[in-house]
Amino acid sequence: MDRIWDFSSVFASRELLLVGLGNTVKLGVTCLVIGLTAGLFVGAARYSRNRLVNWPASAFVEVFRNTPALVQIMWFFFAFPIISPFNIDAFTAAALALSLNATAFCAEIYRGGIQSIERGQWDAAKAIGMSYSQQMRRIILPQAITRMVPAFMNRAVELMKMTSLASVIAFGELMHQGKAIATYNFNPIETFTVVALIFFVLIYPLALGVLRFEARLGRSQ
Amino acid sequence: MGEVLRVENLHKSFGPNHVLKGIDLTVEKGQAVVLIGASGSGKSTLLRCVNFMEIPSDGRVWLNGEAVGRERNGKTEYREHSLIPIRTHVGMVFQHFNLFPHMTARQNVMEGPRTVLRLTRATCVKRAEKYLAKVGLSDKFDAYPAHLSGGQQQRVAIARALAMEPQLMLFDEVTSALDPELVGEVLRTLKDLASEGMTMVVVTHELGFAYSVADKVVFLHEGRIHEQGTPDEILVRPSQTRTRDFLRGHATFRLPEAQF
Repeated sequence: MDRIWDFSSVFASRELLLVGLGNTVKLGVTCLVIGLTAGLFVGAARYSRNRLVNWPASAFVEVFRNTPALVQIMWFFFAFPIISPFNIDAFTAAALALSLNATAFCAEIYRGGIQSIERGQWDAAKAIGMSYSQQMRRIILPQAITRMVPAFMNRAVELMKMTSLASVIAFGELMHQGKAIATYNFNPIETFTVVALIFFVLIYPLALGVLRFEARLGRSQ
Repeated sequence: MGEVLRVENLHKSFGPNHVLKGIDLTVEKGQAVVLIGASGSGKSTLLRCVNFMEIPSDGRVWLNGEAVGRERNGKTEYREHSLIPIRTHVGMVFQHFNLFPHMTARQNVMEGPRTVLRLTRATCVKRAEKYLAKVGLSDKFDAYPAHLSGGQQQRVAIARALAMEPQLMLFDEVTSALDPELVGEVLRTLKDLASEGMTMVVVTHELGFAYSVADKVVFLHEGRIHEQGTPDEILVRPSQTRTRDFLRGHATFRLPEAQF
């Protein structure tokens, strides 16, 4: 092993990596915000007793949970523009695919969290005359969300990693920028090492946060 | 004066399981009515049909002389939004307390008046403290349920129901989940309420309590009212064999010597 690691060519391309990091964060945060918001509605729809509401929501969740994210991204980039009147750039396609993917997973987290609240809490809220939405807002969600936070943080970790898949449709996120640098400078070893490190530094605090939060939750119960 | 609750020919089925098979019951203002019977006899279901936590399969319920639900093509319809005012007038306390764990005792009691009755914050705080004091918990306003004993939690739950200032209170086996030494404090609270003239329907296995507090004791058996009357008539001189068998089963039940 007489290889000499030379990071200078990677360092010279730091601007490209910074752009990539920016795009990774932009894609990840967009998808997380959409997933958390839309997931609440899809989750509530799945929880509904009305079949016209819960059936489409369930179908949506199952499709996105049971197909690879890579396939979803490719589909939104190549197939979706053909069957829809929109022209779609790489960011939109990736954001669409990963947001819907995140929505499906978040919907399950919301549903699971809500179902984990004991029947008696609903009973007590109902017995003092609360409407369904009051029961949900005042009693069920505040308790359920505490239990959901670790799962959401895990989702955020997964999502940040999944953004790298958008490199296959040439969206300029970190992985794509890394590929470009490696090809141009013939330094894949150094470049991908740096890319991995940047991802680690970005994601590890989140993972750490999950552990911390779970420990705190464990103590308070 | 007058009747607070009237139930006529009440039926309730859960799928093929016919739990209530035609219940007729009236509760007068200020009365404490105690429902007794073996588990599975339908006591809790009857209680839950009175505030429409369960929707009756058949029969009618009147509260303060007003029929609940609308008659349509021979069927009674219950709309969720029309049941909300009913529930605000009928308080319910549960076997497992069901306090809101993310709220302090005071917040638990304030929640109904604030969110449902939309009273001002100051009024709600005052009300919460008044009813917590009433159940003997003036020193626990800021305690979370997790830091209260079972008996204290149940008294908070009673205060929470009272804070809605209901016309009728329903107690569903409120001492069954408590350690024996905590039963007394909760029963005393109930007894105080009864002596102040609160109208209440109580499901309980505490026959001693039934004897000393009830104006009327109702014995349920297999979804029907088997026998009802004064505590003396039902608990001391039951006319029905089933009632006698049930009472004999409660070996811990001792009547005061003087009664014999």
